[in-house]
Amino acid sequence: MSDRKRGFFAKAVRTATAGSLPILLAAVVLSPLGLRAQSTAAPASPSQSTTSVPKDRWLHVRVISSDAKGETVRVNVPLELAEKVLPAINKDRLHAGKVRIDDSRVNDVDVRALVDAIRTSKDGEFVTVQSNDCDVRVAKQSNHLIIHVLDKQNSKKSEVEVKVPMKVVDALFSAGKDELDLVAALHALSAQGDTELVSVKDHENTVRVWLDSKNVTD
Amino acid sequence: MMLLAKAALGLGSTLVLAGAYTMREGVIRIDVDEFRSGGSHVHLWVPAAAVPMAMHFVPREHMRHASEEAREALPILHAVVKELKKYPDTQFVEIEDSDQHVQIRTHQGKLQIDVDAPDQKVHVLCPLSTIEDVTSQLEEHAPGA
Repeated sequence: MSDRKRGFFAKAVRTATAGSLPILLAAVVLSPLGLRAQSTAAPASPSQSTTSVPKDRWLHVRVISSDAKGETVRVNVPLELAEKVLPAINKDRLHAGKVRIDDSRVNDVDVRALVDAIRTSKDGEFVTVQSNDCDVRVAKQSNHLIIHVLDKQNSKKSEVEVKVPMKVVDALFSAGKDELDLVAALHALSAQGDTELVSVKDHENTVRVWLDSKNVTD
Repeated sequence: MMLLAKAALGLGSTLVLAGAYTMREGVIRIDVDEFRSGGSHVHLWVPAAAVPMAMHFVPREHMRHASEEAREALPILHAVVKELKKYPDTQFVEIEDSDQHVQIRTHQGKLQIDVDAPDQKVHVLCPLSTIEDVTSQLEEHAPGA
């Protein structure tokens, strides 16, 4: 390499280095921000991935309408999210994850006393009504409160089945006298296994509310 | 000549870095199309990182006013976004029938709201980290904060 060429090469290298200095400086200054941005953007922990880890419990609601429009509604809510967000809502009767009820007596029924009675009693059927209009069954079975209603009034029958773990019912009524503790109920629900909570079927709609570990509806 | 080259390289690299920094969190995308006479058509693409930066230049009294207006919603929004960040790719709500489709989901750490109806189309995409930054800034400006 001639001296002239070597000189030009050296100069070019110096120029490039000098030109890169702002880049290097900026890279050093911005690197923590870049790292922070990556950490916020990337799905970091396994619980954040599309497939939930088993500890994630999801409440699913699905409504399928068989009318002409064929509407389908799918709602998937992580119980943890609901548990964290509910206490932040302070509006009307909802405060700190609890719903205030004016009186625990609803239609002259002392709900709290009723729940206490059910809790302490053994498994069995508490209410059985069979008529031409409807069949109603309220029972306690395997630590679950079960309510089954079959409406036969119309030619198009409708059927409602509610199955709530007793621990959830207990947690719901664990707050003060005139309150329902929704957060405690959700927390109790998250400890339960996969279960169907509500099922409603009539001639037009099918509604399902269930709990599992998947973040998608089936 | 060399001085010019140095200056151009420095300026160019600074612009590239500034662009990369501005776009590091992606873009906030808002598309609204109303299919009726006089319906609005809004198409907005804003670098997500620019919004919290721009908020620093908003006059203090305006920020305080905005914060006061959003006072009730801020703790809820803060809690929701904080939790949503744990679920970066999840469908939360989907409603569909023969002629409309609505979905609320997170996709790659962004909140995505899509409404496809015969009379309107709305698509909103916003990084959760941007919502969190904006919420935090509004909370900082809340009276008594």
